[in-house]
Amino acid sequence: MLISGWKKRGRRKAGIFLFVFFLLSASLAEAGLQERVFETTLSNGLKVILLENPKAPLITFHIWYRVGSRNEEWGKTGLSHVLEHMMFKGTKKYGPEDYSRIIQENGGETNAFTSRDYTGYFATLRSDRVQVVMDLEADRMPNLNLRQEDFVTERMVVMEERRQRTEDDPQSFLMEQLEATAFQVQPYHWPIIGWMEDLMRITLEDLKRHYQTYYSPANSFLVAVGDFKKGEMLSRIEKTFGSIPPGTAQKQEKPQDPPQTGERRISLRKEAQLPFLVMGYRVPNLHHPDAYVLEVISAILSGGKSSRLYQKLVLEKELVLEADAENSLLSKDPALFYVYATPLPGKPVGEVEKALEEEIERLQKEPVDKRELEKVKNQLESSFIYSQDSLFFQAMLLARYEIAQSWKVIDQYLPLIQRVTPEDIQRVARQYLIPDNRTAGTLIPLPPKPGQEPPVGSSGRDRITR
Amino acid sequence: MIRLLRFSAVVGFFLLSFGSMGETLLAMPLVQRMTLSNQMVLLTSEERSLPFVTLQLLIDAGSRRDSVGEEGAAYLTAKGLLLGTAKRGEKAINEELDFMGASLNSSPGRDYATLNLRVLKKDLEKGLDLFLEVLTQPTFPQEEVKREVQKTLAAIQAAEDQPEDVAEKAFKENLFLSGPYRHPIEGTKKSLPLITRETLDRLYKKYYHPNHSILAVVGDITREEVKTKLVPRFEKWPKGKTSDAPVQNVFAKGPKTVKIDRMLTQASIILGHAGVSRENPDYYALTVMNYILGGGGFSSRLMEEVRNKRGLAYSVYSFFEPGKLPGSFQVGLQTKNVSAREAISLAREEMKRIQKEPVSEKEIEGARRYLIGSFPMRMDTQGKLVNFLLQVEYYGLGWDYPGKYSRLIQSVTREEVLRVARKYLQPENCILVVVANQKMADIE
Repeated sequence: MLISGWKKRGRRKAGIFLFVFFLLSASLAEAGLQERVFETTLSNGLKVILLENPKAPLITFHIWYRVGSRNEEWGKTGLSHVLEHMMFKGTKKYGPEDYSRIIQENGGETNAFTSRDYTGYFATLRSDRVQVVMDLEADRMPNLNLRQEDFVTERMVVMEERRQRTEDDPQSFLMEQLEATAFQVQPYHWPIIGWMEDLMRITLEDLKRHYQTYYSPANSFLVAVGDFKKGEMLSRIEKTFGSIPPGTAQKQEKPQDPPQTGERRISLRKEAQLPFLVMGYRVPNLHHPDAYVLEVISAILSGGKSSRLYQKLVLEKELVLEADAENSLLSKDPALFYVYATPLPGKPVGEVEKALEEEIERLQKEPVDKRELEKVKNQLESSFIYSQDSLFFQAMLLARYEIAQSWKVIDQYLPLIQRVTPEDIQRVARQYLIPDNRTAGTLIPLPPKPGQEPPVGSSGRDRITR
Repeated sequence: MIRLLRFSAVVGFFLLSFGSMGETLLAMPLVQRMTLSNQMVLLTSEERSLPFVTLQLLIDAGSRRDSVGEEGAAYLTAKGLLLGTAKRGEKAINEELDFMGASLNSSPGRDYATLNLRVLKKDLEKGLDLFLEVLTQPTFPQEEVKREVQKTLAAIQAAEDQPEDVAEKAFKENLFLSGPYRHPIEGTKKSLPLITRETLDRLYKKYYHPNHSILAVVGDITREEVKTKLVPRFEKWPKGKTSDAPVQNVFAKGPKTVKIDRMLTQASIILGHAGVSRENPDYYALTVMNYILGGGGFSSRLMEEVRNKRGLAYSVYSFFEPGKLPGSFQVGLQTKNVSAREAISLAREEMKRIQKEPVSEKEIEGARRYLIGSFPMRMDTQGKLVNFLLQVEYYGLGWDYPGKYSRLIQSVTREEVLRVARKYLQPENCILVVVANQKMADIE
């Protein structure tokens, strides 16, 4: 997930920006959201999802477009994300950067993000100021002013973003390579931010076409969570957005990779301090019940300090600095189940990999005991309750489910988790978490050396099977 | 339109609240403050819309307490609380927490350390017992402490791959000639191997006392439960001797340039100098000034000049980090190697410009409106609220702070901004750190 630059204060979490919303995917759902959430569709096709929550005098207002890097094409990757940046460059009515300034002058916070599956914009502000963000969004949905000089400058910003996130971060770099290897047909092959060379190829015409294709009521939806009355909110929304021309709903089906029939391995040699190891197994998403079993597996492996990876690899064997597992439940197309680890200095990568594999094999061989399964279910349930404390997270949850399938299936999450049995876990681990179904990547650290410039935009694209 | 937030007393055994009056009522959480018999300050705020409770204890034992040669001791002491108690080993602690779906973390900072518990209402008593056990009966077992030292060393090594982190450490090392803010919170490669369980035990006995601590409790907990469940448990924690030897930071005088050569595509740059402490009366004027200069996200001058107009950076910002003692002021940015010189000079120009002429009426009004208007967002989750409450108490901001804050910000004038910019910014005397491919960056 690319968060387009709020005042970013150093200290990036090492690793993998795609996973910003991990916590959420492990915590989603509640009985009764169906009753509390109100959904309607305006006559121009704009879907509206509202959740009243008066715990603070605030509203978080989101507008999400059904477009992300999966809706791009070879040679023009990164287009959706560049467009996200350009959305702040003004309309006939507002000048460049007026959007952020106006929201901030109203005491609000705002940002935007692009993923493989969506582009989202939001502002969180005092409830009595919500009309301000609505006016701005209703204006820039149809009226964006895309100018060449803004585009040329903003493309430079995005290239700086890519250098910061990927080029100079060996772990992110490896993740990008891993995904390009695991996915050969489906658009998850390329990174959200795009290949450096593609960023150079994108033109203003490409942006205009992308904007006209996707930025319309038929390809977007609104989510508001916070301190409001839905009747009043809805009439505001109708008044503000109701007259925007509907546009055409775009086909969202994308080609899928055929089943994987053998392990793929890649390595990356780059200046780095410590190795990094990642395995990505091809798995189904929430459209398949096995995805929920994988949620439980992910928690068994890495939910809290009593989890198997932490207990075994960090505490007992003292092999790794950190180890983690992550499922891709809310991915629009089926994606990967990740297991990764950073070895401690001096620990052989092979030994770490063996230890990770032992934990995977254990899931296949031994049924999980009753108490451990109960523990994991408790954790998933409580983290759902905690996540409701934040208006922003509630809105993210509704919107991410809406993109992946429908916000209405949030209510299935906990019941489906509760139903998972030790036998399910063994079966699913045996079916998906096997070497033939994975891509394994290793970062081989080269000693840091001063001096030469690496070739510009060395995104390693030449290594990728087309 | 600016609201008047007025402080008002509430009936009850403790008196404080963030009352609020204005054209419309702005909901501010109600807060009770009391001092226990062992002098621990207890702040509570009830909010029962969700069935869980967040507790955060502030212990006045941040990394500023580290002795010379023992950098990282305060960090490891805080981490060490969770490594085992007189009754339970680390594994049992982890197991019990995860089974409740609770989280218990210690987070060691520069001024103070915190211990944070989030627990479902139904498990509150069990959670409290565990919280008090790790707080009052830690054993700092030798093997586990050794492992924690090794992990910290590895994390320090891994951080070498984060250019911004490398720049930050070099900046601090060069800005502070000596003093408690000079070293990284987690210690250094040199200091950590010398730290043992005895070091932690010593630091613990010296600083982990109720009379050095503040507890904030928010969420689904009633006044009655505070009285019957919390107070008796925490009052058993015996008072200790306070020992607060005053220590000062000694700042280097710039200008000075530090270049670190790496195979990178981007230069990570920090430009800065001495800042202020939290109690400095100019804090509010500085907040407004910095918002306009580089703290105000996309509305700041640095963002406008470096990113929006020229596309030279994805992130560029400035900040003060005021603590109990004066901290630093920093401008930070990342730009491709060959743009480093231009970006540095732009940043310096902006520091000079805000010293030369008053900011515009539009800019100052925008800053005031954001700072005042976004105030409620500082406490809109349990996690944010406990932090906010602890800071108000720890830095002595006063319990009329939410009301006072808007007045203080509102009263900052353009002349004040000019005055503090001239007084505190030193564009010509900066410590400049550049982590980059130096051949490409070509810094003088």
